[in-house]
Amino acid sequence: MNYTNCGNFKCSYEKDAALFQTLFSRLCIGVFLVMLVALPFLMDHYFIYILNMILIAVIGAVGLNILTGFTGLISLGQGAFMAVGAFGAGYLSSQVGLPFFLAIPAAGVIAALVGAFFGIPSLRLKGLYLSIATLAAQFIIEFIIIRAEPITGGVQGLSIDYARFFGIPINDDFRFYWLALPLAVTMTLLATNIVRSKIGRAFLSVRDNYIAAEAMGINLFHYKLTAFAISSFYAGVAGSLWAYYTTIVTVENFTIMVSIQYLSMIIIGGLGSILGSIFGATFLIVLPEALQFISNMAAGQFPAVSQIVGALKEMAFGLVIILFLLFEPEGLARRWRLIKAYWKLWPFSY
Amino acid sequence: MKKMIVFALGLLLVSQGVFAATVKIGVLMDESGGTGDVGKPYGEGIKDAVNWFNDNGGINGDKIEMIYVDYAYKIPQAISAYKQFKRQKVVAVHGWGTGDTEAMVKFVTEDKIPFFSASYSQHLTEPDKAPYNFIVGPTYGDQTSAALKYIKEHGKDKTVAFLYNDSGFGRAPFFPHGEEKARELAVKLVDTQVIGLKDLDATSQLLNMKKADPEYALIQQTYMATSTILKDSAKLGLKTQYIGLNWTLGEKLVELVGDAAEGFMGTSGFAFWDNEEVKGIQFLKELNQKYHPGITSRPVNYIQGFSSMYVLLSGLRLADKDYSGENLKKVYESMKDFDTMGLTAPVTFTPESHAGVSAMKIYRIEKGKIKPITDYIYAE
Repeated sequence: MNYTNCGNFKCSYEKDAALFQTLFSRLCIGVFLVMLVALPFLMDHYFIYILNMILIAVIGAVGLNILTGFTGLISLGQGAFMAVGAFGAGYLSSQVGLPFFLAIPAAGVIAALVGAFFGIPSLRLKGLYLSIATLAAQFIIEFIIIRAEPITGGVQGLSIDYARFFGIPINDDFRFYWLALPLAVTMTLLATNIVRSKIGRAFLSVRDNYIAAEAMGINLFHYKLTAFAISSFYAGVAGSLWAYYTTIVTVENFTIMVSIQYLSMIIIGGLGSILGSIFGATFLIVLPEALQFISNMAAGQFPAVSQIVGALKEMAFGLVIILFLLFEPEGLARRWRLIKAYWKLWPFSY
Repeated sequence: MKKMIVFALGLLLVSQGVFAATVKIGVLMDESGGTGDVGKPYGEGIKDAVNWFNDNGGINGDKIEMIYVDYAYKIPQAISAYKQFKRQKVVAVHGWGTGDTEAMVKFVTEDKIPFFSASYSQHLTEPDKAPYNFIVGPTYGDQTSAALKYIKEHGKDKTVAFLYNDSGFGRAPFFPHGEEKARELAVKLVDTQVIGLKDLDATSQLLNMKKADPEYALIQQTYMATSTILKDSAKLGLKTQYIGLNWTLGEKLVELVGDAAEGFMGTSGFAFWDNEEVKGIQFLKELNQKYHPGITSRPVNYIQGFSSMYVLLSGLRLADKDYSGENLKKVYESMKDFDTMGLTAPVTFTPESHAGVSAMKIYRIEKGKIKPITDYIYAE
């Protein structure tokens, strides 16, 4: 079982830095992966659709968490960077004719460059001021996309073909799952490794005390821009996945509301935690679906209730964030740790 | 664990299954989001159309079951609702906005489910791009054409300005269609101004427009910005005659603007509640007396919703119990001069065009009532 004798002792640096600290955690993640692979065979397309949305959201949220949670730079531009990725992938696949496995990373790189550019003010601006600067990025990018008609198709957007893998079009939820799942797993693993390496430690020091970090020889400009670039790369990949999913890219998919939603995901999940990003993304995707489900159930018995639930769905979003900030400011990730700790000692906790 | 619960819920849903002869229709509407003010009455029109059909023999004896979802004008929620519809095996869907309808064009095409919507966007009417999308109403482009034709006939200077908001909805009628049509009809486009959908002040834009002094100005907005424009224009004493496209003209505008709305003109493919000479309006008044005795007046959006759903369901009736997507498409495309009791011009779908209505009237607000001042104007 998950026993580590009276504390978690390590005899070597390799063990201390290991990705999976115990055999048990290795087993758990293995079972979880097997479950992820098995799930689509057991579910109908609606639930696979929800899984797909979660996978896309996980990529975007993990990216934002690297920037906001780990480096402490608040960004309200995640939606716009996703738009850059989506339009990048759309343009590259429809005009240049790149296949999806080149277009998606390329779109990520484009988004990373744009993100790094809009990250430049972060050297001088902090906190609220920086969030307003990134808010400007959101509006500037939306404005440019509407105007740059030859590339983005303007307000009508781009219509692209489904991604093709050896001639098989990825045109339904089941097939898309096999595109989104490996990407999400790889990107999450990558993020976990980034934050436990030199770069990640630099990010943490920038967040905790940037003066001390600079005194220690950390190049603030370099690391802040890196954080923006990595985060936007993730946003770009998430955006391009979304583009391949719906195959129609319009700027209306990536409004300020999307940015706010991603910010809420990492707040609810837990700032500065990769696991938290996954929890947050899952939670915020499932919440409206669950409310809709309740509304449908209620509509059968009490037609009037369904209208209230419709409006309630909007309120629930705000309510959940407020409740989390009040009662669990460190997010679902902390709740998860508490649950784990509880079971570790059960039934003899003190 | 969460996934297990989701899975269990899924099983529960599936096990409810399908029984009895019902025809399922999915309806996606915005009641609580950004366009809720017009979405809610539109949805009521849809509901009444379904109720009326169910009380009058259903679809050749089959009962209509409507699955109604308020998606709050959010595209991901619209898609998720659509996936639900698909699972519940709906035969057709009635949707709402431009962004979400366009986001689902590929899905709908793949699944072969006829999809009606309230977005009067040109490219939803082209079957080579969107073979399963239909609209009942004149496209924004057609409305612009009709308004420009009116200007050509009645104008003295024949100058026009475009007032719009910077979104897909706002730009659709004018760029490039409106510009080209104006050139073709020799109506001179002298100015364009951007006014946000929710702006409460348009003074600076209107002052700029005053310099060009257009005889007419076309407005593509919703009630809110339109009321701002009309109020500010009255304040500044501008002489320009405004002509709004369909989302600007309604009873709500009269309510918001009051006297300054007097003389405002608009294009509409749909009749208004005050047009008692129209057979369909009489019909709706009786219908409302029966279903909603307290209600004495309905906004135009209600009539839009009713007409659109009326056409959708009538098509299902014509399909003679073969509700496969291919057959429904064929049935709709064979609808020619279908009579909506005068609520719209006769509806015609062809394999080349899925814009059901290509004719509209121009209306004017006179003493707070919306009256038609022209007969049907055809766009082409």
